[in-house]
This record gives sequence, C-alpha cells and structure tokens, in this order.
Amino acid sequence: MQAIGATMIRAGRRFLSSLPALFGVLVFTFLLMRVLPGDPAVFFASGPNAGQEEIEVIRKQMGLNKPVPEQLMLYLYDVGSGNLGRSMMTGQLVAKDLRERLPASLELTLTALLIALLSAVPLGVLAALRPGSIIDHGVRFFCALGVCVPTFVSGLLLIYVFYYLLGLAPDPTGRVDIFASLPPRQTGFLLIDFLLAGDFDGWWAAFRQLILPALSMALFVVAPLARITRASMLVSLGSDFVRTARSVGLPWWRVVVTYALRNAILPVITIAGIVFSTMLGANVLVEKVFSWPGVASYALDALLSSDYAPVQGFVLLMATVFVIVNLMVDILYGIADPRVTIG
Amino acid sequence: MSVTGSRRLLSVVAFIAVSLAAGSVQAQTRAETLRYVTGASVNTLDPNIPGSTREAFAVSLSTYDRLVSFGRKQLNGKWVFDLGKITGELAESYDVSPDGLKMTFRLRKDAKFQDGTPVTAEDVKWSLDRVVTAPVLGKAQLLTGSMTSADQFKVIDPLTIEVTLPKPDKLALPNLATVYPIIFNSKVAKAHATADDPWALAWLKENTAGSGAYKIETFKPGEQVIMARNEAWNRGTTDKSAFFKRVIVQSVPEPATRANLVERGDADLVIDLQASDVQSLEAKGKLKVISTPQYNSVTFVSMNNQIPPFDNVNVRRAIAFALPYDDMFKAALFGRGSPLFGATWADGKPSSGTYPIPQPVKLDLEKAKEYLKAAGMPDGFSTTFSFNVGQASTAEPMAALVKESLAKIGIKVDIQKLPDAQMSTQINEKKLPFFTEGIVAWLPSTDYFYRNFYTGNQRWNYSSINNPELVEIAQKARFEPDAAKYEEDGIKLNAIHFSEIPQIPLWQPSQDAVMASSVEGYTYQFHRQVDYRDLNRK
Repeated sequence: MQAIGATMIRAGRRFLSSLPALFGVLVFTFLLMRVLPGDPAVFFASGPNAGQEEIEVIRKQMGLNKPVPEQLMLYLYDVGSGNLGRSMMTGQLVAKDLRERLPASLELTLTALLIALLSAVPLGVLAALRPGSIIDHGVRFFCALGVCVPTFVSGLLLIYVFYYLLGLAPDPTGRVDIFASLPPRQTGFLLIDFLLAGDFDGWWAAFRQLILPALSMALFVVAPLARITRASMLVSLGSDFVRTARSVGLPWWRVVVTYALRNAILPVITIAGIVFSTMLGANVLVEKVFSWPGVASYALDALLSSDYAPVQGFVLLMATVFVIVNLMVDILYGIADPRVTIG
Repeated sequence: MSVTGSRRLLSVVAFIAVSLAAGSVQAQTRAETLRYVTGASVNTLDPNIPGSTREAFAVSLSTYDRLVSFGRKQLNGKWVFDLGKITGELAESYDVSPDGLKMTFRLRKDAKFQDGTPVTAEDVKWSLDRVVTAPVLGKAQLLTGSMTSADQFKVIDPLTIEVTLPKPDKLALPNLATVYPIIFNSKVAKAHATADDPWALAWLKENTAGSGAYKIETFKPGEQVIMARNEAWNRGTTDKSAFFKRVIVQSVPEPATRANLVERGDADLVIDLQASDVQSLEAKGKLKVISTPQYNSVTFVSMNNQIPPFDNVNVRRAIAFALPYDDMFKAALFGRGSPLFGATWADGKPSSGTYPIPQPVKLDLEKAKEYLKAAGMPDGFSTTFSFNVGQASTAEPMAALVKESLAKIGIKVDIQKLPDAQMSTQINEKKLPFFTEGIVAWLPSTDYFYRNFYTGNQRWNYSSINNPELVEIAQKARFEPDAAKYEEDGIKLNAIHFSEIPQIPLWQPSQDAVMASSVEGYTYQFHRQVDYRDLNRK
C-alpha cells in the first residue's frame, strides 16, 4: 500500500518535471505554424465573392492581425486558462473537438495495440523457441508483410474483401452504424458506454465497426513487437537462470512463461509504449479510410487548411499523451521487475 | 405435447413475428431516410459565416427558406436550376415596378417558423438587414445585385416588404435566391444577440431559427448532420412537405469508400466521386448516374498578364496553341464534362454572347512556335505551373501533360503542387505566373462573369487582366435592359477575351451524381450541392 502511494507521488513529480518540455512544445508549434507558408485568412475567405474585407474579418477572428509576440502571449494566457482557441474548420472550440474525438482515437489505438500484443508476443516467443526453424521464418515473413503494406492499403483491402465482396463487415464509416442510437456519453469509449447502458446490441455493433480499422493498424505494428519479443526471449532463454530452471526439472511452460518471458518482457513494454504513442498520431490514414472521427484526421485536415488552433492543440495533446504513456511504461516496469523504481 | 411445449412454441412464433415486425419498421424508416455521403463537411449552420463550406450551403437551404428560389429547367434531358425563372418560396407573389427600381414581396399567410410563430415582414427585414450590415459573406454577394444598405428594405405591412434599388439591376432578384439571404426568425435570433454580436452570428452558427423544410436533429461538425422533416412545411413543389423523413449528411473522406457505400446500397446519393469510379459504376449499370455539365463553372489555365513573359499577348497565344487539350480532358476528367476548346468561329467572330463558349483553339505546335517567335522568344523560357493539392486528382495528370507538350516548343515547366492555403495566398498576392484553377458563378450571366473574373485588382481576377474596354462594356452590360443589345455586348466581351487570351478556358466539369435507382428528382443546383428538398424515392 505504502509502495503504491510512494509510486504515485514519484509519478506526480515526474509529470511535473515534464511540464517545461510541454511548454517548449507549445511555443515551438506556435512559431512553426506561423512560419509555414500560406495565409489561413485567405484560405477561409475562399467562398464566392469573398474579397479583401472578408479576409480582414477572418484575420481578426483568428487574432492574426496582432504582432506575433502579442499573439503568443495571448495564446499562452488562453492555454493557461484551458482555452485552446477555436477551429475555423469545424467552428467549434478546439478543446471541445479534441475532447470529443480523443476517445475515438484512444479506443481504436488501444484495441489495435491489444490485438498486436496478443499476436506478436506469442509469435515472438514461438520464433525464439525454435530459432532458424520454419516457424521462425514464417513469423519473419508475416512481420515483413505487415510492416511493408501501408495501413491505408491494408485498410482498403480489408474493406474491399470484408465489406464490399463478402458483406460480413458493417459499412466502414464511423464508430457505430449511422442508424443506431448512441449510448449516453459517460467515458466517450463506445465499448464501455454501451456496457454501462446495458445495450449489448449496441456494443456488438460498435465492436464490429472497430474490428477492421483496429486490424489494419495492428498489422502494421506486429512486426516491431514480435521482433523485439523474439530478440529478448533469445537472450533470456540463453541465460543462466533459465538453464538452472531447466536443470532443476521445472515444467517447460513454467520455464518459458515465468522465467524467460517475465525477464524478456521489459523491452517489449518499452517498445509497446513508443508504438502506442506513434500509432495515436500516425493512424491518420486509417482514420481517413474508415471515416473514424479521431484526433489524427482532425489534425491533418487542420494542417492542410492552415487552421492554426487545432494543429497547436493536437500537438500539445500528443505531447501530453506521450508524457503520460512514458510514465505508465515506467510504472509497468516496476511491476514487471521490482528492482526498477521510477525516480 | 405438454402445455409448456406449446407455450414455448407460441413464444417462439411470437418472437419471430415481433422480430419480423421490427425488421419491417426499420426497413420503412430506411426507405424514408436519405443518406448522403460527401468528402467535405458541414462546418456551420449559418452559411453567412466566413469559411463556410459548400456542404453547409445545402444544409442551410433545407433548414431555412428564402423569399424566392430558382425554378428548374431541362438541359439535355437533365434537370438544372433556371436562372431565368424565379419562383416564390416565402413570397406568395412578387412584383417588379415598370422602372425596375422597386420589388414588392407579399409573404405567404400560412408560412410559419419551426417554433410555430408566423413569418412576418419584420423577420424578412431583419434578415436582409443582417446580410448587408453584419460582417458576413452575403454582403459582397448582395452587392452584385445593387443591395448595399438596410435603408433599401422597407416593411409595408406585416406581410409585405419592399426592396428599393438605386438602378434597375437584372441580378437583384436572382441574388435573393442565393444561399445568403435566408430568412431568420428575428425574435429568436435577437434573443441570442449580444452587445458585441448584435446579429447573433455566434449563436446562429450552431443553432437554427428558420422556417425551412428540415430541422436539425444532430450537428457534429466534420462528421455528420442529421435532419428531421418539418411536417408543417408546405413549400415543396406541390405545396407538400419534403419527401424524406430524415436526411443524413455524412462526411466520408475516402472517395473509394464513398463509391463502395453507394454501390452496396448503404448510401443513397453521392456527388463527389472520382471520375474513374463514376465511370465504372455507370458501366455496371446498377445505379443511376446523372452527369450534368456544371454550366455555371469553368476550369481554366491562367496566366498572370502583369508578369513577364506572360504580359506578352503572343506568349499567351503560343501557350493556347500548345496545350494538348484532348489528352488533358481525358486524363483529368475521363472526358466527363463539356469541352471549351476546338471550336470553329465563322469569320473569327464569337458564336454567341454567353459565357463561357468554346474557344477556337486546338493543339497546333507550328502555330505556337510562330507566336513564340513573334513574341521574341523563339527558344522559349522557363516557368512554373501550379495547382493546389485539393485538386490533385484532376490537376496532376493535366500538369504532366502541359509540361510535356510545352517542352516541345522550348518552354521548360516546373510543376508546383501547393497546399490549398498556400495556393490561395499566392493567388491573392498575384504571385503565380501560370496555374490552373476553377471558377463558379452562382448567377451565370455574361456580365457577371466578366465583372467578377476579369476586372479590378481583386483576388478573383486570376489573370490580373486590365483592359479598359472590357471593363467599360461589362459595367454597361450589367444595366442593359435590351436583350439584343446585351447579347451584342456579350459577343464583344467574348471577342476581347479571345484576342487578349488572359486565360485559357478548358472545360466545364460534370457534376456526377450517383444514386440508388429508387432516388428521383435530382436537380443540378447553382451551389453545386444537392437540394434535399428536390428528392424523393419511388
């Protein structure tokens, strides 16, 4: 109990110590957006008959009529008070947009990561148990295939086969069938919200909708996870303690799971953390292909139309998520290997 | 058979019956729902907000009424909006005074806002005042119809409103049928106005206060809008409410997915597919494909008439005869549209005074070389050809062909693919020498096109052309009441356009509407979106 409390305190301290980095990210993105070519006011005034006057109105709305240092100060003040600005694209507050869309991205990414881990770790272990065998080569082939097919290609292929040809999957748009009613929003995670509402048909619909996009994302990240599992399993299988465990006649599964895998899992956790963070930002193509209302496709649209506020908000969000994920990786480390503490 | 057994049987039968019934209820609602998928998104419920998308226009015209709307006519067997026929929407009837200076609108007595209150002349005045006073997009639009000040709108009695014009203007009435002068429930809007925002721009962006055929059920910007039918609305074609009970407007960014959805029957209608997908869907013959040339829009190659070497008319002519028109048309649009090249003009005179008309240009490299020689650049020059990322699917193959063909007469072209925001900025600053763009006019009359796209130092004058004669004729034509003289002016304008060649019109792309075979009533609209009120299912 005390140990958990101490861990929490240390975790909190770690989070605080990453605030300067987040601040740096904030300022850097702000300046970067202003350096990019393209005047957003002109872009958004591109309706028929929009002239100089309309451009000025939009410029004022976006606060671009002030000098950059002043804009920065205003922006920092706004962020400090929890206001990330307004998106020109959706017309909504960025914080609201992100809050609505983040659960969609998280749900998708977490599911994909879960699928990836559940397939990659056993595959890696199998490959490590028989290095050089046909299984090992099979795993290597599968990994190469997964990593060399871009996610949007696998996404489109999955749609083509399972939706278009076979008609097994629901139509690949959004998080739930458009004709279905949504559960009351509690967490924003549809799978959880449907369960809380006791709507199992809804849960099933949302789950079916989730499978294809999660699969196409998972395919892409199986490779690094399986490779790292294999490598660290090989090291761990060749180590003294495994040899000792074997020599005292412990059952093989016990040797593999408790002794080898537990020691080999640390690097897998690290990689999983990194993979998760990158997936969250990089799943923009999957979100596009499946019309998934997530944060990544939102940020891409904003970037293409030079809509400053959402891009800045997105980068800040990603940085924060990255910090939190790293923190969780460290905590998981502590659980997997009690010798490791976070400090 | 025991009692429990028969009871079980009974419950099984009952279960099947209930599920069948549930199925048919669902099927029925599906039939009464229109699911429209699009690549773009609706970002505001008030089309007047700067930055509003075209999808937003379509939603607004379903949730709001205007005083008047365009009728429709057949063009090559397809329904299109009719600029020449203005019919009443909220107005039961209207008069234009003989001198053309006064328009009087009498409102329908039975017209009600969605909250049940009647539509009055006060509401109309407030809404029109808003368009010409507030910082909204409608201001510049209504300017093209000589409506600039709130003084021009006068309430005569609760059901009559009068619009006064400084000069008789052909485009005044049609302007009131565009998307901006929609009629708001002024009492509701005023209740949400603030000192900073007297026209309730912020509130109306996310809420509606209209009298239109549909009510907003859910609005998720960037994802979907769901609308429910306003049963009390009776301003449809036969004084009926709209056909579909629900309309779902959903953003599906991936064009291939949109094609799949409509082919599988999960979506009812889509207008923005890739040309190749439309072609294959048409070939399969399961769906209805209605291709209407966008007769109010033009895709062109523009040259900056103020930047060397394009300030030399012979260089522009050289380019006009060096473009591989047929190949470009096939590569970019799969031939879907109407070409604006390859015409023959008898005695070299424009065949008509309408805009645009096919130009007497075709690929002729010898002629192009002669013009280059005449321009004093027999060895050619280097330049850049730009297009924006948003149009890449049509512009990219086109640009490659331009580059290849111009290389044959010694002009070296660098292709520049610019993000949309960057492209519009550079166009606004008049920095691009040579590029492709498209224009659309809601009110496609000849003088409107020439005034907006070929005069003044403003953004839409893409070629930065400055020709005093053209400006004079275009301004005069605007107020020309005599149709024959107007036609004459149009011919003159077209002749100047061809002799100056500020830019090269290429084609009018098709609007390809792909829909379930049961959907009927599709009409090509001035805003290049679907008017959901037109549609029904047989």
